[in-house]
Amino acid sequence: MAPTRPPPPPNNIKKRKEAPTDPQTNASKRYKPTDHRQKTRDARTLSTQTSSKAFKNGELDVSAFVKSRAFEISALEEGMARSKKALNRRAFQQVPKELRRRTASHNVKRVPKRLRERGKREMADDNTPTVTARRRKPTAHMRLRLETVKKLRALGAKRKAGMDRVKVTVADPNGAPPTKSTDSAKDKQQPAESTTAIKARTPKIKKSLLATPPVPKAKFRKRQIHKSWLPTHLFHAKRARMTAPSAALWRFSVPLTPTAKSYRPTHRASHERGAVAWDMSYIATVQLEGREGSLIGMLKVLGVAEEELIGRKGEKWRQGRRALENFVYEREAPHDPVAPVTIIWCVSAAEESAGMAGKEKRNRKLLLRVHPSAFYQLWEELLRLAKVAKPAVSVEDLRFDIGSLEITGPGGTEALLSALWPSRTTSEPLAVRDSASTAMDIDSESRNKNTIVEETWSSLAGLTNPAMVPKNALLAFNVQDPRLHHPPRTIKLPKTDAEQHKLLELIASWPVDAAQQPPELFDRKARQAASATMPSQKAVNRRKGLAAPGQYPEPLPKDPQIPVLLYTTAPSTTDKGASGRPPPNSSSWTLLTPWKCMQPIWYSLMYYPLSTGQQPRFGGLDQYRQLSFEAGKAWFPGDFPGTKAGWEWEYAERRKREAEWRRRPKGKRVSFERVEVGEGVRGEIGIGWGCDWERLIGGALVASEGEEAAMNVEKAAESGDKSAENGKTKAQEEPKEPPQQAPSKPPHLTQLSARQALALLATPPATPPATTTVKLPPHIHLPSALTTVRLTLLTRGVPQPCARIYRLPSSTANPELRRQWLALLPTDTHKPTQKRGGKHALPRGLPSTGEIPPHVVQQRLAQSLLEPVRAGEEGYPSCPGEGDLVGFVTAGSYDLAAGFGTGIGSLLVEKVMGREEEAGERHLCVVRNSGTGVARLGRWEVI
Amino acid sequence: MVRIKHRYLLVNILYPDAKYSPLRPAATAGDDIPYTVQFRRPSPDQMNGGLLMRLIRDGVVELFGDYGSGKIAGSLQVKYFSSATSTAIIRVSREHYRLVWSALTLTTRLPRPVDQPCVIQVVRVSGTIRKAEEEAIRRARLSIRRAEAAAKSSSVSIAGTIPTASTAAAAGDDDFDMINGIEDPDELGDLDDDDDG
Repeated sequence: MAPTRPPPPPNNIKKRKEAPTDPQTNASKRYKPTDHRQKTRDARTLSTQTSSKAFKNGELDVSAFVKSRAFEISALEEGMARSKKALNRRAFQQVPKELRRRTASHNVKRVPKRLRERGKREMADDNTPTVTARRRKPTAHMRLRLETVKKLRALGAKRKAGMDRVKVTVADPNGAPPTKSTDSAKDKQQPAESTTAIKARTPKIKKSLLATPPVPKAKFRKRQIHKSWLPTHLFHAKRARMTAPSAALWRFSVPLTPTAKSYRPTHRASHERGAVAWDMSYIATVQLEGREGSLIGMLKVLGVAEEELIGRKGEKWRQGRRALENFVYEREAPHDPVAPVTIIWCVSAAEESAGMAGKEKRNRKLLLRVHPSAFYQLWEELLRLAKVAKPAVSVEDLRFDIGSLEITGPGGTEALLSALWPSRTTSEPLAVRDSASTAMDIDSESRNKNTIVEETWSSLAGLTNPAMVPKNALLAFNVQDPRLHHPPRTIKLPKTDAEQHKLLELIASWPVDAAQQPPELFDRKARQAASATMPSQKAVNRRKGLAAPGQYPEPLPKDPQIPVLLYTTAPSTTDKGASGRPPPNSSSWTLLTPWKCMQPIWYSLMYYPLSTGQQPRFGGLDQYRQLSFEAGKAWFPGDFPGTKAGWEWEYAERRKREAEWRRRPKGKRVSFERVEVGEGVRGEIGIGWGCDWERLIGGALVASEGEEAAMNVEKAAESGDKSAENGKTKAQEEPKEPPQQAPSKPPHLTQLSARQALALLATPPATPPATTTVKLPPHIHLPSALTTVRLTLLTRGVPQPCARIYRLPSSTANPELRRQWLALLPTDTHKPTQKRGGKHALPRGLPSTGEIPPHVVQQRLAQSLLEPVRAGEEGYPSCPGEGDLVGFVTAGSYDLAAGFGTGIGSLLVEKVMGREEEAGERHLCVVRNSGTGVARLGRWEVI
Repeated sequence: MVRIKHRYLLVNILYPDAKYSPLRPAATAGDDIPYTVQFRRPSPDQMNGGLLMRLIRDGVVELFGDYGSGKIAGSLQVKYFSSATSTAIIRVSREHYRLVWSALTLTTRLPRPVDQPCVIQVVRVSGTIRKAEEEAIRRARLSIRRAEAAAKSSSVSIAGTIPTASTAAAAGDDDFDMINGIEDPDELGDLDDDDDG
């Protein structure tokens, strides 16, 4: 306790205060102080007075009457006060949800400031014992450990003293000032004559080799044998659920979800107020270096579009002013899709000097960022391509060299602005300058061309949506060590219209495009120098201590200059909102920086007090998937089962769900073999706990090989001939056992891009499928080509992962079922989101004013009674048969952005193309969750 | 979370027949006991919360049978009973407080060990015990003021002056009809009238 606390009063010798007791009823009663029920009961008992006591000698007189009333008043008042106190909650119990903590929550030093005064009083009242870690008496075990530590320290000091006698300074060839990992301040005071300079050999950079993770501290080494930690691991491990130690994801320990409840808060922070940040350092980075011509050739082989590579559209990207996200494909014949890759060119230093031929010949650098699940596949591909490229291209793995983070939400720009203080800047940083000069005067001539990027960056204060800046715009500059400005302060935001206007003008003109220097992040030496010169926390603290109160320490010329590269990830133009959904707002900043500099930046970001209150949230993998789902974007690898990485992901998910299913007792788990899946068939199609692509394609493969037989079977199935269908399913199941041990992607399974899929779907239904395949590249096996779609359920229901997607039964095979499904299609007047009236409300659509003739009411009533049948009622259509199965849902849930259930899944393109469709019946489908018998009507669209 | 809703009835017991009263007027004062004091007599000592509970239960059984007694059995509780002032606070579930009210109103006699004619007045129905308590305090204050004023005026009137101004001042602006206990019908208006329909 603080020494200022007054000594406890003499009657307060018990450890805790006793609960209030009723003097009359419970004077003699003893109970444990923890008996809350008894305590509240006592607090609520009112004291009373009998008449014989009130009226002495049995006489009725005025004074006794008044006294008895006075007693009643005091008893009631006291009772009210007492019961109010019993209901009272302690200060730490009133802390908002996101500020609650478990450890020593009663400690006043840990409650928010506004509650601290009250908490202090309560602690004094209660005699709550507090003890600081410093003054706690160590346990026996701890004492032994502390003694060992002391001994080891003494030994270490002795050893160090011996080493200090011969001092060696290594001159760093990379230009970084000499540093020792030990106390640097001491070194400066040492006389120079005792040091002997030895010229170190410049390490040869080994290209075309996989990077090894940085060697962790001895203390943490054992925990990173089969996996690596992200640079912010310690932050996340305290606050998030990480992957299990035995089950690392992509050889990284990745945060899955924050420990605190975060489903809705994440949605709000990203859409309405706040910011969400992720440490994305697990994303792999590869650098290609070589002649521009050969680099472009390589990219062309990888599947980057022609107009980007040579056309005018990709000019800015090729100059290094924009980032590009593209799906890359394997070079060899099946041209399997690999992964979506972000490609960033380095700005070439001598831009205008060379002509067209010179441009082809000059050396360029290029960063490829790819998801770790597809890294190895891409790496192999790149090595193969680099070997055949002429002149040769060098491939460098920068996986543990460059870290990255992503931040989204309206407050994201603001938080980044406060964390990233440009090193070279003429004007004062945002946090200290007054608001008058926040927006830069873009027409001023005095501006230095070298600092234009920095100035533009600083002028972005007030930007709430990064999608406003030019799409995929790049910003590269050097920043100061963020620890010097920790704790961060809220930056000044533009308030007046003039400032806002300036910001808009800046965004429109975007002066960065003319002045971007080659980003230093591409320079190995600059990266290493920044990592090596990062001062120790001790040194930073000392500098902060020397600074004037309330001031940040002055920047020194020796300070590290951390190279950063920022780019925005805007939603692509195809991501138009689904029906009834606002267009996705989720645009985010991605920050690349040296691996070792990630952690300080992360901490500055996480503790930034947002102007709208609270701090940026951090997210795990689940939050990333949630937000991309809400934006209607497919997430790699989960939503791309046609790629190798996606296939492996699906397999892992399947194993997980199966284990979960098997863990439950038999009576409490879905019995998949008894589920009614439509057309009177029982038993889930394929594996109930997974998206059974094998089964789906297996049927399709049979159809393509022996087309006649398959057609017969299909006809039989569609006409509802049970015996034929059962025969078929059995025949199918026997050879197609799902692989249990080795997950290998079916050879022809592939993922079509949205463009290809749309082109295929646009073919008129009259042409038979045989002719349409001609348009497709010959290597794609159409019967097993998938495309990613977004689903919207039209009536009710929420699609879950693994839900089955069916097409509507064809009008020739099963017209009755088709008609039933189409009858469910809601007309435009009442959407699923529209609020329905009460159960007994008048039928909707009646004029609210004026006299309504009874026949109109009856008419409307009859109409409303004719509403489409609900699930479970007589006449609700059953699910189509397996012949109409076209795909599976890979991500689905209630969508907070849309307000109803949506999903993302994949379809077999061949099964949905060329269907006869009227205008209103376009892209209709039926979705049935795995393990349930109720199917819902939905609509899909290619994304 | 669903909250169980209650009603709290503030109840006064009046003893109209003075001859059953356990107390006799103080010998010295004689007839000087003011009417307000005589009107609000204390209950006998045997009268307590338990007895009041029994009275209500019996009354409800008589009026509404097993149905009524079953409905109120779970929630009925006497939160406060002071025999010196004949005031009680009774808790009952919101849906069925009317059963209790009618049983109280139709009571004419206290049960066996006391066995006295009485009138039970429900003066306030509230949703929280706090409001019932506040009302009880207000009424107690008022009756103190009245008793004091009456005592003063009676002594003054013995001295020979006419007690017009002083009593009017004592009654004050928050004077109300003591016989008709329920004076704020708007409080009752917000209760659901169709609840036990």
